[in-house]
Amino acid sequence: MNVFNENITRLATRYPDLAASIKSAGGGTLTVEPARNGTPSARRSGRWVHSAYDPIREAETWADSHAQSCQAGETIVIAGVGLLYHVEALRKRLSPDCAIAVLIPNIDEFHDVLSARTLGPWSEHITWLFGTPSESAQGLTTTDRPLRCLSYTPAAQPDADFHHAFQQVLRRTIASHIGGQLTITLVGPIYGGSLPIARYVKRALETLGHKVQWIDHSLHAASYEAMGTLRDARNRQLMQSRMAEVLSQWTLASLAESPPDLVLSLAQAPLTLPVLEHLRKKNFVTAMWFVENYRHLTYWQQMAPGYDYWFVFQRGQCPDAFRQAGAKNVSYLPMAADPTIHHPMTLSEDDRRDYGADVSFVGAGYANRRRLFPTLLRQPWSFKLWGNEWEGADDLQSVLQLNGTRIDTPTCMKVFNATTINLNLHSTTGVGVDPQADFVNPRTFELAACGAFQLVDRRSLLPEFFSAQEIVSFQTFDEVPGLVGQWLGDSAARQAMSDAAQTRVLSAHTYAHRMKDLLSHIGVSQPDRVGAVLRGDRQQEALLTRCANDPPLEALLKECPAGQRIELKDLAARVRAKGPSATLKREELMVLMLDEYRSETRDLV
Amino acid sequence: MLPESATESRALVIQQARLGDLVQSLPAIEAVQARYPERPLDLLCSAPLGPVLARSQAIRRIIPWDGAQWRAWADQWTQDPAATLRTVQTFLASLGEIEYDRVYNLNQHARGILMAHLFTSHSVEADQTRQADSGVSPWTVYLQQVAKERGENRVHLADAWCGLCGVRPRGRAPMLDVQRVALPEDLAAIGERKGLWVALVTGAGDSARCVSPSVWASWIQAFLTQVDDGQVVLIGSGQEREAGQAILEATPTLLQGRIWDTTGRTTLPQLMTLLARCRWVVGADTGPLHLATTLGCRALGLYFARARVHETGPYGKGHWVYQYPTQAQPASWPINESIELICGGRRRAAPGWSLWKSHLDQWGVFFDDGTAPQALDLQRATIWQSLSPTLYESAAA
Repeated sequence: MNVFNENITRLATRYPDLAASIKSAGGGTLTVEPARNGTPSARRSGRWVHSAYDPIREAETWADSHAQSCQAGETIVIAGVGLLYHVEALRKRLSPDCAIAVLIPNIDEFHDVLSARTLGPWSEHITWLFGTPSESAQGLTTTDRPLRCLSYTPAAQPDADFHHAFQQVLRRTIASHIGGQLTITLVGPIYGGSLPIARYVKRALETLGHKVQWIDHSLHAASYEAMGTLRDARNRQLMQSRMAEVLSQWTLASLAESPPDLVLSLAQAPLTLPVLEHLRKKNFVTAMWFVENYRHLTYWQQMAPGYDYWFVFQRGQCPDAFRQAGAKNVSYLPMAADPTIHHPMTLSEDDRRDYGADVSFVGAGYANRRRLFPTLLRQPWSFKLWGNEWEGADDLQSVLQLNGTRIDTPTCMKVFNATTINLNLHSTTGVGVDPQADFVNPRTFELAACGAFQLVDRRSLLPEFFSAQEIVSFQTFDEVPGLVGQWLGDSAARQAMSDAAQTRVLSAHTYAHRMKDLLSHIGVSQPDRVGAVLRGDRQQEALLTRCANDPPLEALLKECPAGQRIELKDLAARVRAKGPSATLKREELMVLMLDEYRSETRDLV
Repeated sequence: MLPESATESRALVIQQARLGDLVQSLPAIEAVQARYPERPLDLLCSAPLGPVLARSQAIRRIIPWDGAQWRAWADQWTQDPAATLRTVQTFLASLGEIEYDRVYNLNQHARGILMAHLFTSHSVEADQTRQADSGVSPWTVYLQQVAKERGENRVHLADAWCGLCGVRPRGRAPMLDVQRVALPEDLAAIGERKGLWVALVTGAGDSARCVSPSVWASWIQAFLTQVDDGQVVLIGSGQEREAGQAILEATPTLLQGRIWDTTGRTTLPQLMTLLARCRWVVGADTGPLHLATTLGCRALGLYFARARVHETGPYGKGHWVYQYPTQAQPASWPINESIELICGGRRRAAPGWSLWKSHLDQWGVFFDDGTAPQALDLQRATIWQSLSPTLYESAAA
C-alpha cells in the first residue's frame, strides 16, 4: 500500500466523507521537496511553508513555544496545515485530555500532505475540521470545552480569508453563549473623538452584564487644555507629556485598588509604554480599541508592543503595520452606534425649524469639506452646516450654524432627525474625497441608527455593513447635488432606505455587538482566563457544580448570592462579614490566607 | 493572649520576617524553651531562611512557609477553587500535627495573625483575623508605638519579643551550633590560616542603608595597611556581586590577595560557616550582623538611615555600633576609628557619629556610649514593670 492509500485508510475509519473528498481532489497545492537535512519540506505558491533546512526541528520549536500555554481540558484549534509537522510535534507534547483540532481550508493541500508522508497513530487523536468556515466553527462550539486558537503562520497565511471568516463565526457563536460577568477597567482619553465612544463602550459592556470601572480622564481636560495655551512649544509638549505620565500612573493606582479581568483602553488613553509593560509583568490583560485613522494618528507605532490586544477599524495594510511595530495580536473591529443615544426622535415644530434643513452636515472644518461644500450653496434646496473649526471658510459663513461652535451630542441628534438628507463626508487633509477611503466612520452608523437618511462618500469597507438598498453612497462629490435632487423628491424611497439601514444597525452594528466580538476574541485567545469568565465558569452555579464533593467550599459558596460571579475576594469578604463573634472554620481561614496573598497586586504602583 | 497552662503540650513560634528579625527572635525562642522545657517548640518561618535556625537546640522542628507558593495558589484559585483549596488542605496535612496549644506570633500583620489562628487548636473569632485594638498584647501596642513615634525607646526588639511571648530575657546571648558545610574550593582557606579575619557586609536589604563601594574600599585599604595579618571577607547575596566587584576594583592590587569576595557565591549554611571563621563582622545590614553574633563573631555596626542601635543593635556583650544621628546619608564615615576599635579595643568617637557598646543584664541587651548610666537606660525596667508586671515582680523577688 502506498503512503497516500495508507493515510486515506486510516482517515476513512473516522472521517469517511473527508476521505472521499480527498480521493476526488487533485492535489498540487503544495510542492514537496527535500529540505537540506533530507526531510520532506514544502512550498506553496513558491513560499516555504516549513523550514528549508530542518522542518521537524522548526515544528518542535513552534510546539514548545505553545505547549506551555495549553491547559488540560481545552481544545486547541490550529490554523495552518502544511505537512503537519507542527501538529504532530504539539500532539506529542500535550496530555491526552488536551484535544487538538486542525482546520482544513483546502482539500487539495490535505491531499498533498497525505501523499507526502505517512501520518502515524498520533493523527488518530486529531479532529479534522473541514467544510465552510461556518461549519468548522459551529462544529467546535457544540462542546463545552474551552477553545484556544493557535496559528502556524507560514502554512496559514495563504488561507488568511478562510481563517478570518472562521474566527469571525467562532467569535459570534461563542458570543451568543456568553454568560459570565467580567470586571473591565475602561481607560478613556482626556478629550477628543474617542471620549464619547468610551461612554458608548461603557454602556454596551454594562448592558452585556459586565462590571465596568471607568477611569475617566476627561476630568483633567481643563488642565490639559490650559497647558496647551503655553506659547513655547517645547514647554507645552513637556508639560502635556508629564501630565499624561501622571495620569498613566493614576491609572495604575486605580487598577491596584481593584484589579480587573481586562484593561480596555480607547484611542488616546494616557497609558505610557512603561506602564503597559509593568502591567504585563503583573499579569494584567490589556487591550486597545484604536478608533482613529492609523495613517493620521501615528503614536501607535511607539505603543504597539505595549498592549496584549489591538483592535483597529481598518483592514488591509493596517493590521500588518501594527504587527510590524510590535503588536502581538491585532484584530479588526469596526465602529458602531449606541441606540440609547442614536435613535429616532419626535421633534417639536420649533426644533424642526431650528435644526432641520433639506441638507445638513455636522462636523469639523477639514480641508476637503471646505473645498467641496461651496458647491452645495445656491441650490434649490436649503443647506445647513454645523460644527466647529470653520474659521476662515468665509464662503460658508451664510450656512454655518451657531457661529461655528462645537455642538453637543443631543443637538447633533436633533440635526440628524430634523434633516431630510444628512451628508456624511469622511474627513481628509486633501482637497477631495478621501483617496484612501477604507474605514467607515461612526457617523454612518449613528445616522442609520437614528433612522436618518444619509449620503455617504464611498468606502471600501462599507459593503460589509450596508447594502445599496440600505445606504446611498457617492464616488465623487460631483454626484452629490444630483443625488440630493433625486432623493429629496422621493420621500417614500428615502424612508424605506433609512428604515432598512436602521434595522441593519440594530441587528448587527451596535457597540454591544462590537464588545461581544472584542470579548469573544480575547476569550478565545485566553480560554483559561477571560474565556473562563465569559463561559460562566466563575458563576456561583458553575462553581457549585465543580465543588459538589467538597462540602466546606460548597457551604461557603452557597452563602453567596445566586446568579453572581464569585471570586476569592468575594468569599473572603463574606467570611470577614461574619462579624466578631463568629467562629471560623479552617477552610474559611484558608480562604482568608489565600486572599491575603491575592491582594499583593496592591503593590502594583 | 490566654494565660499559659501546664497542660499545654505543643507550642509554635511564628516569625515570617527577614533574616535579621528571624535571628533576633532567638532570645525569645530560647527563653520560652527554657521556661517550658518539657513542651516541644516549633518554629514557622520563611522557607528560604529555614536552614538558619535548623540546628538550634531550642527548636524541635521548623515549618517552612513558602509565600511564593501561596501566591501561586491564590492565582490558581480563579481556575479551580476546589482544586486550590484541596491543594492547600493537602499542604497543611503534609505538615503533620498543626494544631498547637500555644502560638507565639511575632508578626503583627494580617497574614501573621491569620497564620496564628490557622495553627491554633482552639476556635477563632473572626475579628481576630484582622488587627484589632482589643485583646492585643501590651507589648504589641508598645512595639507599634515605637515604630510609629520612634521615641527614646531603650528596649531591644529581641527583648520586646520575649515580653510578647510572656517570658523574661535570659540575660545571655544565644549561640548557634554551626553545621560545617563544604565551601567552594577557592574559599575553603578562609579563616583557616592565622590572622585577623573580618567579614565585611557589602550591602543592605534597604538601599537607603547601603554603604557605597568606594567607602568600603577605603575602609579595607586602611585596615589592610594597618593590620599586617588582616584578611577581609566580602559577604553578600547575588545582588551584591557588582558591589563586591566594585570594591575589589577600587582597592590597590597589592592588597587584593587579602580580600575574599564571596558575594553571591554562598548558600545560607555556607555563609554561616564563613561567618563562624571570622573574628569580626562589620557592616550596615543588620541581618548578617545578627547572624554573625550567634556564631561567635564580634560585631561592629554602622547604623544610619532608619537603623537604630537601641532597637536592633547586635545582641550580646561587647559589640559596637556607630550610630549616625539623623536619617540623612552620613557626611563622613568612621573608618580609622572603627579600625582602631577592632584592633586595639580603643573607644574613639568619630565626628558626627555616636559610639555604643552592648551589654547584657536581666532585661536583655542595652547599649552605653561611655557616659554615666542615664535615666533612659533605667527606663527598661520601668517598661517591663508596666507591660509585664508579673515578670517584673518575679525578677525583683
